[in-house]
Amino acid sequence: MIRLENVSYSYPDGTPALRNINMGIKKGEYIGIIGKNGSGKSTLALHLNGLLRPQKGKVMVRGMNTGDFSKLQVIRKIVGIVFQNPETQFVGRTVEEDLAFGPENLCLPPLEIRRRIDRALAEIELEKYRYHSPKALSGGQGQCVALAGVLAMEPECLVFDEVTSMLDPESGKNVLERVKRLHEKGKTVVHITHNLEELHAADRIIVIDRGRILLEGKPENVLSDPSLLDLGLTPPSLIELAEHLKKHGVVIPWDKTSSPSSFAEEICRLFLKT
Amino acid sequence: MQEPVFSYIPGKSFLHTLDPRTKLTAVMLLGILAFRTESFFGIGILFAFFVALTSFSGLPARVFLRAVRPMVLFIIFIFLAQLFFTEGKVLTSFWILHPSLEGLQNGFRLSARFILLLLFAALMTASTDPSAITCGIERMLRPLPLRWLGVNSFELATMMNLSIAFLPLLFERVERTKAAQASRGMYFGKNPFHSVPALAIPLIRGVIRDAEELALAMESRGYQGTRRTSMHELLMQRRDWISLLALVLFAALLLRF
Repeated sequence: MIRLENVSYSYPDGTPALRNINMGIKKGEYIGIIGKNGSGKSTLALHLNGLLRPQKGKVMVRGMNTGDFSKLQVIRKIVGIVFQNPETQFVGRTVEEDLAFGPENLCLPPLEIRRRIDRALAEIELEKYRYHSPKALSGGQGQCVALAGVLAMEPECLVFDEVTSMLDPESGKNVLERVKRLHEKGKTVVHITHNLEELHAADRIIVIDRGRILLEGKPENVLSDPSLLDLGLTPPSLIELAEHLKKHGVVIPWDKTSSPSSFAEEICRLFLKT
Repeated sequence: MQEPVFSYIPGKSFLHTLDPRTKLTAVMLLGILAFRTESFFGIGILFAFFVALTSFSGLPARVFLRAVRPMVLFIIFIFLAQLFFTEGKVLTSFWILHPSLEGLQNGFRLSARFILLLLFAALMTASTDPSAITCGIERMLRPLPLRWLGVNSFELATMMNLSIAFLPLLFERVERTKAAQASRGMYFGKNPFHSVPALAIPLIRGVIRDAEELALAMESRGYQGTRRTSMHELLMQRRDWISLLALVLFAALLLRF
């Protein structure tokens, strides 16, 4: 549903951020994009719904070019972005008002706006904070409200740009759980992060470095790729452990490395039975 | 969390259920009335009217104290200026100051008018959701040709909403910047102006960066600064028209005296 063709972008000061990016995102797919700070991954995110327009090449969202101003509103209804800092995403004085912002921009009637607020709040299970100030919430709850603000527009594709990097690990996990659930409900997910541990559920992972696509493939291939280390990205610890075990001749199947418990079960199965 | 500007207190009184446009018009009308009424009797009646409305609304008195308190110095200043600089029958004289009887009357009148204005405005903001107020203002401005000024009513309403939402964040940021500077050995002496540059520069930088992120997030959620709807349904009902009519009658009567 989203296609990037030869996309290049440089910042006004001349630093190239994206160089000749080609990629496609299919409906219902869960894509992980990783890269370290300054690799251009956030710039890429801003291209996905026309917040930035490529200087060369083009970005097509369901056949619409993001360079076409008359299509931008429709494109932003299809692709929503959740940003890193919950605080600077709030526009409302209360949670309810904040969630209303997107639907209001879509010029929906008041009744429909309220219905969407109800649904989005139910999705994040924060109904009791409806009339609270979003600033009074914890970071994790805040990020959920930001997510609900995007959900209220009912987009098909959700882009998450380092949504966990300002949260404590526990709330980060909670937010990721929701991302996974939304994907299971049929949303297309683009998940941008520098933390490889977060990308287990992805269908496909794209590694970006200095504005180029360096690697692309299934998580089992990408996450254990030795070149990640050269980029300064640490593979998930369980995968690293599995790689070390492999060197000693103990092979743990890929799907068992996704959680500590299944990993432990596999080790027990291998060793206790022999 | 304390909200520094608006002190909306949710409720279900008659005042709460009125359309924000009714209340905005009423405050304007009462403001004009307060400044057009010359007699102390008329001003007394307006105060009585305010007390009556307040008892209707069920709002606590502290709301109104909080509205007047920041302006107290200003009001005292107006009072003194009137007292000493109005020509008239001199009451007493010390040094070069000659307070006059007319000055005393003018002083009382003017400060009473300002207090009335503040009180009625506080009555509105305390009984109306701020976003409903901005929505009401937006609706009232919509027919005006604001295009000539380079803005439209929707932009103005969004601006007002954002300022209301972001003031607490701004105060929080001041506190954070202060703490950050203090932890690096910055001395906040007795003179409050001493620390202004050290606070203001990081503060402004931070605010501008926040504003950029906010602008992106807003745009991403489809904001274009053009026509948009609101989740508030504004509907002038019978009670709105009746209240306005009653108020106009009240004003006409008061101005007759």
